[in-house]
Parts: sequence; C-alpha cells; structure tokens
Amino acid sequence: MTSAENTAPVPGGFWLDTGKTGIRSWIFSTDHKRIGMMYFGCVFGFFLVGALLGVLLRLELIAPGPTIVTAKTYNALFTVHGVVMIFLFIIPGIPASFGNLVMPIQIGARDVAFPRLNLFSWWLYAIGALVVLAALFTGGGAPDTGWTFYVPFSARTGTNVSLAVLGVFILGFSSILTGINFVTTIHRLRAEGMTWTRLPLFVWSLYATAWVQILATPIIAITLLLVVAERVLGVGLFDPGRGGDPLMYQHLFWIYSHPAVYIMILPAMGVISEIIPVFSRKPIFGYKMIAVSSIGIAAAGSVVWGHHMFTSGMSDTAVLVFSFLTFLVAIPSAIKVFNWVSTLYKGSISLEAPMLFALSFILLFSIGGLSGLILGAAATDIHVHDTHFVVGHFHYVMFGGTGFAFIGAAHYWLPKFFGRRYDETPALIGWIVMFIGFNIIYFTMQLLGMRGMPRRYYDYLPEFAQLNLVATIGSWILVLGMLIVIVNLWRGLLKGKPFTGNPWGGATLEWSIPTPPPTENFEEDPVVTHGPYDFKGAGVP
Amino acid sequence: MAHVEQHPLAGEGESGVQVGVDERLGGKIPLNLVFRDESGKERRLADLITGPTIIVPVYYSCTNVCNYLQEGLARVLPEIKLEPGKDYRVLSVSFDEKETPGQAARSRSMYYSAMKDNFPPQGWRFLTGDAAGIKQLTEAAGYRFKRQGRDFMHPVVSLVVTKDGMIARYLYGTQFLAKDVTLALIEARQGKVGTTISKVVGYCFSFDPKSKSYVFNLLRVSATVIILCTGSFLAYLLATGRKGKKPGSPRPS
Repeated sequence: MTSAENTAPVPGGFWLDTGKTGIRSWIFSTDHKRIGMMYFGCVFGFFLVGALLGVLLRLELIAPGPTIVTAKTYNALFTVHGVVMIFLFIIPGIPASFGNLVMPIQIGARDVAFPRLNLFSWWLYAIGALVVLAALFTGGGAPDTGWTFYVPFSARTGTNVSLAVLGVFILGFSSILTGINFVTTIHRLRAEGMTWTRLPLFVWSLYATAWVQILATPIIAITLLLVVAERVLGVGLFDPGRGGDPLMYQHLFWIYSHPAVYIMILPAMGVISEIIPVFSRKPIFGYKMIAVSSIGIAAAGSVVWGHHMFTSGMSDTAVLVFSFLTFLVAIPSAIKVFNWVSTLYKGSISLEAPMLFALSFILLFSIGGLSGLILGAAATDIHVHDTHFVVGHFHYVMFGGTGFAFIGAAHYWLPKFFGRRYDETPALIGWIVMFIGFNIIYFTMQLLGMRGMPRRYYDYLPEFAQLNLVATIGSWILVLGMLIVIVNLWRGLLKGKPFTGNPWGGATLEWSIPTPPPTENFEEDPVVTHGPYDFKGAGVP
Repeated sequence: MAHVEQHPLAGEGESGVQVGVDERLGGKIPLNLVFRDESGKERRLADLITGPTIIVPVYYSCTNVCNYLQEGLARVLPEIKLEPGKDYRVLSVSFDEKETPGQAARSRSMYYSAMKDNFPPQGWRFLTGDAAGIKQLTEAAGYRFKRQGRDFMHPVVSLVVTKDGMIARYLYGTQFLAKDVTLALIEARQGKVGTTISKVVGYCFSFDPKSKSYVFNLLRVSATVIILCTGSFLAYLLATGRKGKKPGSPRPS
C-alpha cells in the first residue's frame, strides 16, 4: 500500500483512477483491488515480523541452555510468532489479499457484493492487529501461553492474554465478514455465462474457505470471550475446582482452529490450481473433482478437531472416531495432488517463478500431509505428540504449502496489478536457496521430534544439540533465500520491465483486461463463453 | 456414620448395595399416601403437592447431614424468584417412622427462624409417616437408605416433582444454587405459567449429571443460532441466484 505514493506504476488503472488523493484514497477506498493491496501490505509486513521472531526462536535453540534470551522471553517469542503468523498472516493471507485482488475479476464482477463491508473488514483487521500488537507491550507483557491459549494456564498467567484474545476476537469478525462478502459475491455477481463449472478453481477454493470462515469463526470468538470471562470474572467454566472443564476449552478451541487450518490451506490449493495449468499450457486435469474436493476438505476438515486432543484424556471411542475422520481428509487432499500431477503430464511446462513455487508446494505439502497421517493415527501420535515432529509437520503444510503458494501467487498476480515484473534469474536462485533452507530446518525438526525433543521447550538434552544446530543453520539459509526472493520481487514491481497483455498465457478473465486493471475492472460487463482453462477458447497460443 | 454421598448413577443400587439412589426420572410417586403434618393432622400427599414441589427426605433427629441439607435449602429459598406456596412448595419428609410431629414442628421452627420467618407458613411442610407410607414413597423415588443403630445411612438428595407427582429432577448435595433449584422447578412446572420463556430457558440450560447442576448449554444455543443464520443465508442465495445484469452493458461513468 505504501508504493502508491512514492512510485510511478505503469500509468493508469486503479492506481490513478480515483477521486481522493494520498492516504485517504486508500484507507477509505471501497475498490476491491485497493483493499486487496492494503491487505497484502499488512499481511506481508506481519509475515516478515513473524519470520524474524522465528529466526530468533531458532537462534535460541542453536545450543542447549540459555543462548540469547531468557526462558520467559522464549515463551513470549513462540507465542507471538504463532499469533502473528496464524492470525495476522496466514488466515487472511491468501483469501483477503489475493482473494480481494483477483476473485471479483475472475468471475467478471466490478467489485465484491458489499464494497463498504469489505472496507470495514479491512478496518477490523487493522484494529484487531493493533490490539494484538498493543498486547505485546502493555499490561503484564506479551502472552506466554502459546498461540492456542490453553486453559488453565491462559486463565492464570499474569501476561496480557485478555487483550491479545480480544484482538483475535476482532480479527475473527473481519474474517467472518470477508467470508459473507465472498460467498454473496460468488453467488450473485458472476458474469453472464460464468456458470458454476466455469468458475476458476481459485474461486472455488475461496468459496469453500468462506463457508468455513462463516461457520467456524464464531466458535473461536465465543471461546475467547469465555477465556476473558474466566480471567476477569473468574466464572470457572474451564476450572475443575469450580465445576468447569479444561477439556471443553480444547474442544471449543479446536472446533474452530482445525477448520482454520483449511482456511489457511484451501486458498493456497486454489492458487496452485491456477498456476499449474497455465504454466503447463494444458487444461487442468479433473476440474470437477478438484472443485468438489475443496468442498470435501472443508466439510470433512470441520469434524476432525479431536485429533489435536488424543493425549488430552478423551474417551477411546472419541479417539478412534476422530482418527478415522482425519484419515478421510487425506482423500480429497490426495485427489488434488494427483490431479495437479496429471495436469503436468505431457504438458508444455515452463519453469518460471510462479511454477517453481507451485511445484515445490506439491512436494512440501505432500511431505506435510503424509506426516500428518502419522499424527492422525492415534497410536503413533502418542509418541510424537507435542514434539518437534508436530512443529516440522505443520510448517511443511503451512509454510511449505500456504507460504510457498502465497509467494507463488505474488509472482503470478502482482505484476498484473503493478504493470511491472520481477527478474526471473534472481527469483530462480532465491527459490532454490529457500527450498534447500526450508527442508534443512523443518526436516531436521521432524527428526528431532522422532527422537523425542518436545516442542515449546527452552532447553534440551545434549543429544539433541547437533540436529538443533543443523536446523538453526537451515533457518539462516531459508531467510537468505526469502530475502533474495522478496527484494527481487519488490524491485521488479516498482522498477522492473513493463508487464502488459497476457505474458503467462492465462485463460481466466483477469488476463483479458488492461494492465493494471481499471477501477471497475471491465469496460463492459463480460459474457463468458469458455472455461477457465480452455486456452484455445480464450485464444491463448 | 450417618450418611453416604455415593455416586447416584453408579448403578450398583439394584445389584445389592443398600444405600443410594436409582434415578427414576419420569416415574411417579404415589400421591394417595398419607403423612402427618407438624400438628399431627393426617394429610394426603395429593393435597400437599399442588404444584412443583421439592421433596427433602431426612430424619429430624439427624445430627449431621440432614441439617446441612435443610440449612442449605433455607439459605437458597429466599433467593429464588418464584413465589413460595404458589409457584412451588417444599416438603421435608422423615424416613424414620418413629419420629413424631413434635420433632417435625421443632425442625420447622428452626428453619423458619433461619429464614427469619420470611416464608409463607404453608410453603415448607415437615412431615412424618408410618413405615408403609415411607417405604412406598422412597421406593418410588429410588431412594435407598438403611437404619444403623439410632442413625441412618442415606443418600443426600432432594427430589423435584411435578403437580401430578412425576419426578422431574434429583438435586444432589447439601449446597444449592438458586439457579439450579429455579430451573428444576421450572422444569417441573410442565409448561403451566410462562410457558414460552421457561421452554426457551429449558432449551438453553441442560442438566449435567456429572456436576449435578444445570449448565448453560452454550454450544447448543450458539450452534443453533449460527446454523439457522447461515442456513437461511444460503437458502436466500440459492433462491435468488445470479444477479440479473444486462450482458455487455457499459461501465457506469
């Protein structure tokens, strides 16, 4: 969002086409592209903050015993790393930024169904983020509970949990409103001829995500209010001493937070479903199955939360049922992976940056997904529960999956909105370095977990020292790669070569309008006559 | 030992353990039984149970938990926002057939003065009865007790019954929360006064047999609200479909 004032994008489009000037033309704009840009700026900023905290965490663990911070600070570091990455980066990451930027154009609409509500959502996001940040520096200091805010500790700790969960509560409303807006937009504002089977798969994934946002987010909102009630009023809902039940908190928390995992990954899968066919010059394999599997993941993913609680003291029956349901989620996920790979088969593959990130997504997500089955199986979960294996697993899915998709999406779509592009060579180098660093840090974490190193511990036994050193070195390589990629992308978008027309050769509607897109996207309301991956129909060579 | 507080749902009752409670929710207590009130006058239960009623099985010479039980009740009754004598009644019933109306009257004056006599005279009756009547009543309620010397082993539980004697709820322990008692009475009222509100309240609060208390069923309420809202939202979207736009219409300036 800062780039508007001090740079000269390729003139025209939504960058200039506005009545207001300066910062007000952004923070009071109802244009979905400007709102998307603001989201992108914010979530990207928080991504960098979270990454910095992550590097500090790894640095602390480089050797046993105290290294750079105290144990209390370490607890705050991993909590804030989690809260920032989950609630401020990865949940709004793709849907709020790229969803806003691209989705209305992809369905042939001039904006979302409720543009003012859309702006309000961004404001809620900004306010929620400020409240979360305020919680770090006020009261009893940054929360030290872990991002899960588990009771009874979260009800007792002297750190500033109340304000932090209030911030997350506000962020939740932003998420719900975006969900309602997107669902309505996709139902109501599709262009003539944009049937449900001609929707780009990114839109399908956003549609499934939006329903999860609408249905699951209210539960975390209520739950977090209960934590505040527990802290402020001492109502005893989660306190067994007063007839409460701490397990109930875990249920309530995960009823939202597991589906939230799919809020994080589904839009990423949507991005991959866009990039793979375009850079394979081939219609996607199994369009309908990919679309349906998004809904399948959203539905099945909503009833598997108990797999976070296998060691919490649930009944054996509950463990069995949740374990079985967890395995079911693997089916729609695998459908997607197989279909992407089938799309590549005999395609004319061009390895530009978006495609590199998409391909690495498939590999890293598959590693993360398969290690998820080890955790979803109750017997093996008992052994690796709350170890670094879990940390490695969800970083493979969340960072290797969603994070890589986010960066891939930035390379794929941002040139369209800036009218300038990045350099391919540094992007390739940065991607290689990132990929290597990523696997060094997180694969090592999985090994550490297999050997019994618990997560969230400040200190560890000497036998874990070597692998921890390796993981920390991996984090430096990963960050180096990220820096190369980010600097290259940033410089390119501001000063790079012009990006006009349809250089990627996409068949979806965003590639049929001027670059950068004008304020209301289409000169005339489009009439859609071909599918989103029908390259011949779209006249793409 | 004068009492036990064994888990009421352990289910061992019917298999030989002599003291405890087998919950007979929905079962009826015989209303034709005759007990004596504090003045020694014979009374049919049907004449005393004319609305939701809390029945407290005790024995008046108990030196221990029966006192705590009735004391707990005396503490909570003034807090209940229902009208005693009209909306509900309380009956202490001695399960010791040897006890006399005189002992019952002493108990009455003790708990009435504990409530500073701030309770209608007919609101809380203290009954005694013969062995046959006591047996019928306690058996119907699934209440198993045992004489041991001068004392009794017995569970610490009160019953809430409806006007026609149906057992609506068991309230365990000597401590009562006004909310628990109120909700049990509302449940026992069976939709007579304030039907709608009490039905809604009955939906939102459910009885937690483990903690033996009414709990606000947050999950049920919020899930219903969310599903109703989103369901009608989806129905609306599906019914209205795509917004009618003229294809090729120019962009408004």
